[in-house]
Amino acid sequence: MLYDLSAVKRQFRETVPIADFKLTRRGLLASTAFVALATATAVGPTGAWAAAGVSADQRLTLIRMARDIYPHEDFLPDGPYVTVVDAILKEAEGNDETRKLILDGLADLEARAQKIHGKSYVAVADANMREGLLRSIELGGFFQKVRGGLLFGLYNNKDLYPKFDYDGSSWEKGGFMDSFDKIDWL
Amino acid sequence: MAAKIDLNDDSVVVIVGSGAGGGTVANELAQKGIKSVILEAGKVLSLDDIENDEWAMFSKISWLDKRYSKGSWHGAVNHPNLPAWIVKGLGGSTVHWAGVSLRYQPHEFKMKSTTGGIPGANVADWPISYDELAPWYDKAELKMGTTGAVTGMDHLPWSADFKVLAEGARRIGYSKLTAGPMSINSTERDGRPACQQIGFCMQGCKIGAKWSTLYTELPRAVDTGNCEIRTDCMVLRVEHDKSGKVTGVVYADKDGNQHKQKARVVCVAGNSIESPRLLLNSESNMFKDGLANSSGQVGRNYMTHMTGGVYATMPGKVHMNRGTAVAGIVRDEAHHDDSRGFIGGYTLEKLALGLGFLSAFLVPGPTGWGRKVSGAMEKYANMSGVWICGEDMPQEINRITLHDSEKDQYGLPVPNVAKTDHPNDTNMRNHAYQQMSYIYNALGATEIYNLPAYPASHNMGTNRMSEKAEDGVVNKWGQSHDIKNLFVSDGSQFATSGSPNPTLTIVALAIRQADYLATQLKKGEL
Repeated sequence: MLYDLSAVKRQFRETVPIADFKLTRRGLLASTAFVALATATAVGPTGAWAAAGVSADQRLTLIRMARDIYPHEDFLPDGPYVTVVDAILKEAEGNDETRKLILDGLADLEARAQKIHGKSYVAVADANMREGLLRSIELGGFFQKVRGGLLFGLYNNKDLYPKFDYDGSSWEKGGFMDSFDKIDWL
Repeated sequence: MAAKIDLNDDSVVVIVGSGAGGGTVANELAQKGIKSVILEAGKVLSLDDIENDEWAMFSKISWLDKRYSKGSWHGAVNHPNLPAWIVKGLGGSTVHWAGVSLRYQPHEFKMKSTTGGIPGANVADWPISYDELAPWYDKAELKMGTTGAVTGMDHLPWSADFKVLAEGARRIGYSKLTAGPMSINSTERDGRPACQQIGFCMQGCKIGAKWSTLYTELPRAVDTGNCEIRTDCMVLRVEHDKSGKVTGVVYADKDGNQHKQKARVVCVAGNSIESPRLLLNSESNMFKDGLANSSGQVGRNYMTHMTGGVYATMPGKVHMNRGTAVAGIVRDEAHHDDSRGFIGGYTLEKLALGLGFLSAFLVPGPTGWGRKVSGAMEKYANMSGVWICGEDMPQEINRITLHDSEKDQYGLPVPNVAKTDHPNDTNMRNHAYQQMSYIYNALGATEIYNLPAYPASHNMGTNRMSEKAEDGVVNKWGQSHDIKNLFVSDGSQFATSGSPNPTLTIVALAIRQADYLATQLKKGEL
């Protein structure tokens, strides 16, 4: 080889040090918040999910799963994830195919969690272990249904653009003539 | 003034497609007083349809008819039904193109002579040279409003995003750093405004500062009274008589009703998937392998450019979305020098992606989730990136074929689009990844992400031009070797891909072809 591929390989290595994957204090806080959500949703009014034949626990599993697919710890609150999950459950209410996809998918995920960890998916404390479970089902329709919803619900959601410091549409403001060439650190 | 052309008028030129090739040929012919009918498969688009929203525009303008990605490229898994990202709509892919208007370098027309041939690749010389095309490039640049010497229009000012790339490039010793040539007005010109740095160029320019046939060639052609445009009209096949000359086309209108438009000449300009597909679908007892296919090269040598992306998290904010999508070009690796481990060259084109597209393409396909993606998105404002665009090896195995059994909504066999890297492509991409890692590390990047190819927007080579009839589909005028009144007017004529973005060359060839057509029609040769 006539050029140095090691420079490329250096870029291919895992970009997040393994230590960062351990449950940090921040991770614990996120989990605490999640428990609070779990408590609130468990005793709160039932929504479309109940009509879809999905239990409060199952809905919670979907929300945990959603947070694990695109993890944003304290960067994003639960709200946007809950919105995506509830939209899918709303669809499931009126669509047998979606309902079956969700219920079968949840049952499969739970079975995998029980088999490998001896506990339910939400009870697996280590985010890496939960990711491992999701990686084992990532090519299936159930997982991709949730992922697809999140891709739009998180990153194509105009309400969240400011959170990502993204401007979105500019033509109605005359474009970025005042800012496009500004940079202060270079 | 719009012409109303009778279905039985066999004196007209029928043009299939309204993009860079078809739209340009139509206007050039119209200005010379030659009547044409454009059959556009897509719907009418206007500036009112343009939104600054990546996915909204993707749904609105993309060619989403059923197709299959094949071959060993990752898209066969990750983009199974989207081998290419091109437009189905009036103006074709000139609505979506970014505006980069580089000329092919002289040696890029003669890659076989330059290299002596490449094992495993179907490398060929174009039957024309740079010098022959140079005056037509001038005309194309004047038509399109390309920044640079010919129009005298300055390149656009450097955006923050391009300053970042250029500084990194400078630190590793690069010097060919320019914000053009782009066919985007840097000053008001030709009835179109100067760029307002809106961004979203590839979702359609909201103000028409970027050249597109949608609001230049097409209305001008219609204004002459010599051109009729029929949208939502999908051409199903090209028909011919007993002598083998084409006589017209059969198309389906919006309601699915079929019509035959007679023609004296047919110009096929449906982009490098649809054009060969149409020729293959037009098979007959006389032409059993499809029209214009005595060489067997129709549909083969499909090229997309050797591409990839590199994005990186910078130490400070960049806001790459602010300003033109392709804000500048680095050309230090564009030359031919096989000591780098590959033949041909590549450019590094600054490419801004919005939040929506970056999240989908950073790690494309069903496995693109997890901390790597979400962590990158949290640093969106600090991100900068490039698109790598280099010479792609023509290979016979990379080709458009017709599905054995599956039909689309028009009843036509669905196209299979196969693409597999040649080792030269892989070596060049790895070289580009390496150079980009040097550039971004020189800037203190905290993360660097190498992206594989996107669904192809540059599609070339499937009706290649050649000196000899046995080597290709069309001659140096884009005229079929087999059928003299059948022309190919789009990028499928390209014999090799070169490294430059193809639109400028498509337009230069189209202007030249229209000139030839007019001469031949006048002489009674067609």
